[in-house]
Amino acid sequence: MTMTSANAASAAPATEDADQVTAPARAHWFRRLLRDRAAALALLTLTVIILGAVFAPWLATHDPASNSRSIMTPPVWSAMGEAEHWLGTDGQGRDIYSRLLYGARLTLLIGFLAVGLGGFIGSLIGLMSAFNEKLDPIVMRTMDVLLSFPAILLGLALVAVMGQGVVPVVIALSVSSIPDCARVARGIAIGVMKQEFIEAGRAVGLSNLQLFQRYLVRNAISSIMIFISLRFGQTILIGATLSFLGLGAKPPAAELGMMASQGREFLLFAPHIAVIPSVVIFVIVLSANVAGDALRDVLDPRLQA
Amino acid sequence: MLNVIVQRLILSIPVLFGVMLFGFLLMQVVPGDPALVVAGPSATPDVVAAIREEMGLDKPVLVQFWGYLERMAQGDLGRSMISNKAVTEELGAALGPTLELMIGAMIWSVPVGIAMGTLAAVLRGSLVDRAIMALSVAGVSLPIFFISLVMIQWLGVTYPIFTFIGRPGPWYTAEGFMGLFLPAFSLGLILIGPVARMTRSSVLEVLKLDHVRTARAKGLSETRVILAHGLRNALIPVITLVGLQVGYLLGGAVVTETIFSWPGLGRLAVGAILSSDFTVAQGTIMLFALGFITVNLIVDVLYSLLDPRVRK
Repeated sequence: MTMTSANAASAAPATEDADQVTAPARAHWFRRLLRDRAAALALLTLTVIILGAVFAPWLATHDPASNSRSIMTPPVWSAMGEAEHWLGTDGQGRDIYSRLLYGARLTLLIGFLAVGLGGFIGSLIGLMSAFNEKLDPIVMRTMDVLLSFPAILLGLALVAVMGQGVVPVVIALSVSSIPDCARVARGIAIGVMKQEFIEAGRAVGLSNLQLFQRYLVRNAISSIMIFISLRFGQTILIGATLSFLGLGAKPPAAELGMMASQGREFLLFAPHIAVIPSVVIFVIVLSANVAGDALRDVLDPRLQA
Repeated sequence: MLNVIVQRLILSIPVLFGVMLFGFLLMQVVPGDPALVVAGPSATPDVVAAIREEMGLDKPVLVQFWGYLERMAQGDLGRSMISNKAVTEELGAALGPTLELMIGAMIWSVPVGIAMGTLAAVLRGSLVDRAIMALSVAGVSLPIFFISLVMIQWLGVTYPIFTFIGRPGPWYTAEGFMGLFLPAFSLGLILIGPVARMTRSSVLEVLKLDHVRTARAKGLSETRVILAHGLRNALIPVITLVGLQVGYLLGGAVVTETIFSWPGLGRLAVGAILSSDFTVAQGTIMLFALGFITVNLIVDVLYSLLDPRVRK
């Protein structure tokens, strides 16, 4: 969804707003963001989960890969629960809480890498396309072609070639982020290119590279970053889905989508094994989407329908 | 009008060629020797060599590519490396169930999404609006596999109303419908959020326009203003969105089919990839891409039919 909304929004409003996003709104955009209670809660949740993932080795109570004798123990709040494993154990007797921390680590890492890489390449393409009019039609046509490959399809194709693993998933997710980011970046950059200071820069005899780096990139970067961050939730979701299908992370590594998939066979007697990691994915994606929407509304109110 | 169609058809040719090249390269970079996979582990070197010759693998890459294009033009996608059935036969068998699933998902979720979005736009700022928007953000954030698992647990096991393993028959039979319901319902849920959001913003946009004010001014009822003058024009971007979402839905179908053992293209693709059946994997991926291109083409044409501004 983020993808299509960004698509629809990319060209027109972003162009006009490029300068406004950076100038007057910046003063207290963060405070305004926190005034939105849902957004504040979403940011808090995301922060807690990210901290949990970063400090997984210190917060985990068990080795995420080692089996214990108690198999399929339910969480502590049900009658059969044990204090030893407060979120219960999975089908192989591994501690779910500890696996969640490590699983969130891998899931978030895949998301960050993919959004970062795809966002970087995509923005660079978009910026260059806006900067060089001769390049523009060719590049944008290529982006349209790329856009016609859904992320899951790309993921399937890459895994078919490279074998299952985290690397093909990250590449597939990055590549599928490129066209969107390129379109958005181009829209923003075209707005910047129309500004007078660009002409002034040309007049004082700056080289193209200087103009590109000092004037275009610096003025477009913050708006671009916001739009890229909007993709985070959806990217995490697709990454977890690929892992759920058995195409991503390989066991014994813990990844949230894979954990949900491993819980499938125990759904009837121990639903918590699949439900807990699924809920964590849902919470991460929901928080990212809510925070992203609020951020966009605060910084770029014209996109708010 | 005709111009638009012809123009779009011509633009699809390079894309189509790109897809074919992609499919060919896929087979080129696949690790391992395809001839070895076909021959099986116990084959003698002579047999492997014979198969390699038969598959044309001993020829230069360009010759192979030409041969590949020729075979594609004749609708020959090779044979499955596992079942030895023609790939086209496997694809043909899986296409129907996938279409059935996707249509089953869209037929209820698109109208529901449009209704929700219109309601939210009309009651902008109210509690109903906020509830609908919250629901659609939640819907966009829900992993499709989670929805499917919950549905199985709830309507398949706790209250065993529907069946959830495989496709018992075509949709118009009683068993077939009972088997289609849960996967189509789960898949449809992921589409409601995007459709509702897009409809809402599109309706809000249209309701601001002059012709809506004129309609109100000449004393039309509010319902008529919204339905005949607002929604009708607002639906154009929604159609584009639904077209774009077909790819997203296809991704969802891969998951739904895997979970519900639905004998469609998604399950075929995942199974083929996990069992290194490269010819089938190539065939399904290319069919997906082809389907996606076709849908985009139809959407573009529909768009120009519906929006007189594009027609010229």
